[in-house]
Amino acid sequence: MHAGEPALEAHGLGMRHRRGWALRDCSFRLPAGRICGLVGPNGAGKTTLLSIAAQVLEPTRGTLSLFGAAPGAADPGRTAFLAQEQPLFRGFTVAETLRLGRELNPRWDQRAAEDVVRAGDVPLDAKVGTLSGGQRTRVALALALGKRPDLLLLDEPMANLDPVARKELMGTLLGEAAERGTTVLMSTHVLAELEDLCDYLVVLSGGEVRLAGDVDELLSVHTVVTGAKEGEGLPASLAHHPLVESRFSGRQFTALIRPDGPVTGPGEADDPGLEELLLAYLRSPEAPPLITPTAQVRAQDQAYDTRTVAA
Amino acid sequence: MSSLTSTSTTTGSAAAGSKGTGQLPRFLKGMPWLVWRQHRTVFLTVLGVSALAVACIVFQRSQLHIAGYTHVSTGLRLVPILLGVLLGAPLFAGDLENGTAKLVVTQSVDRTRWLTAKLALTALVVVVSTVALSAAFGWWWDLYKAEVTATEWISESTFNTTGPVPVALALFSVFGGVAIGVLLRRTLVAMAVTLGFTVAVQLVWSHFLLSLGDVVTLTTGNGAVDEYPALIVPTGAYRVGEASYITGDGSLLGRDTCAEAQTSQALELCLKKADVVGWSVDHLPMSQMNGMQWFGASILLALTAVVTVFLFFWGRKRLT
Repeated sequence: MHAGEPALEAHGLGMRHRRGWALRDCSFRLPAGRICGLVGPNGAGKTTLLSIAAQVLEPTRGTLSLFGAAPGAADPGRTAFLAQEQPLFRGFTVAETLRLGRELNPRWDQRAAEDVVRAGDVPLDAKVGTLSGGQRTRVALALALGKRPDLLLLDEPMANLDPVARKELMGTLLGEAAERGTTVLMSTHVLAELEDLCDYLVVLSGGEVRLAGDVDELLSVHTVVTGAKEGEGLPASLAHHPLVESRFSGRQFTALIRPDGPVTGPGEADDPGLEELLLAYLRSPEAPPLITPTAQVRAQDQAYDTRTVAA
Repeated sequence: MSSLTSTSTTTGSAAAGSKGTGQLPRFLKGMPWLVWRQHRTVFLTVLGVSALAVACIVFQRSQLHIAGYTHVSTGLRLVPILLGVLLGAPLFAGDLENGTAKLVVTQSVDRTRWLTAKLALTALVVVVSTVALSAAFGWWWDLYKAEVTATEWISESTFNTTGPVPVALALFSVFGGVAIGVLLRRTLVAMAVTLGFTVAVQLVWSHFLLSLGDVVTLTTGNGAVDEYPALIVPTGAYRVGEASYITGDGSLLGRDTCAEAQTSQALELCLKKADVVGWSVDHLPMSQMNGMQWFGASILLALTAVVTVFLFFWGRKRLT
């Protein structure tokens, strides 16, 4: 598996629920071996996207292919999915829950799964229903990691954990992923943690992809300009740069732009922080979306799309 | 697959399996193991209660006792309803309601295998328990067969509790309950609706029960006064409708003919005047019982097969 190979490719993905479209025309590519954050406000379509990738849901439109396999034909053994509600059989013991993994997955790694459980001092003979939230997340994660997936899909994995348990579990998760070159696609609300965890990013809003690409690349193509306000609006010198968001406070202006040339004129140019960049995109739905070259689906791959839509 | 299973057994299950899972049957592997582990309480309860009931019936029968017969037959008539509500409705509704369906379908196993394992094990439990109950109760009912009260064979308390009928009724009720649970995705709602469904099945079944047989018409020609319709038909035959008088030219007259005659002489005279020569009695002989039961059961099993096809068709896409 070389670095450029895609773990996941979405082509014009659309999903209609009873109350409208949860995803609309989503196209992006996630190269293998990356830890990708999936960010967006509530109802942005994150859970829908992860469920389609996990083959729990079937998309209304478009296709999603994993590791280059034909859409829908991917080996379910190569992906593991930890759903938001982290479902487990409450009446099973921890050992029985791991046995479930062993019975239903040919690539199961009992030792890896038990290590994850033991690292959190979770007794193997305890009933799942009696565990704390953090312990339960650990067992659910052990079940996902024991499957030895090439792609790990996590929906708000740390939502019900305290900061200490969150740090500890994230360490376990990233350690395992790094060791095996696992690709991770993980939705989260905690923007502050993304910078440490992820090297790739997909931002969804209103069911559409707003940003997708390598974190460093995304940061490098944006610039924050701050300066003193002169007259109405932004200085004319910034007008020809595509604008993501502008804000004014008192006599100050702040503009997040995608410079298409050297930034001149009044104000001070600086590199944005990841959180600043994300917030700017989430606050400005009319800003032009940006999908960096590594995250773009190649033209010849679109053949999948047209073929299945026609069929 | 088998080699992988055996390697993992050596690495981990020896430690983990000895404690929490030691009491499980070792022959169950993969999906059947999961289904058995998840539903073992209800499966074992159904099998245990059935075994107890069978033991009681066999004991009473071997002593030639009939005490408790009516209670047992009433209980057996409730079996399809109970199994539908307690076993069928929650089978998938529980997993759909609390999200464990997502857990199962995201393992490496195709969801058709999950459907197959759940339906097959459930069907096995239902068939084993109802076949045993039906056989035991049928043996008890043998005590009655030769008696005049044997017209009982057509009543629900005998017809629905012996032969293939209880098995087919239970299977259809349970699979109907499974389908209701899959559609409604909520355990309690599914159980309530299944209760309604299984009761409706019983009512519709009772309504069409007589239509399962071929009505035989028996006519006599020795006069109508000295004979009674009940005595002309064979033992145990079930008379369908009122017996009628039959006249010399073959036409039928209602039993209210000559009803105003006060004495037997007057009646005889009146009937003679009307050219009545005997009786015409429509009935279902007891010899048809077996055929009717198998015919009815095969209709129920065909319906069960339709429900099963629906479950696979629907469940392949929507079971999460």
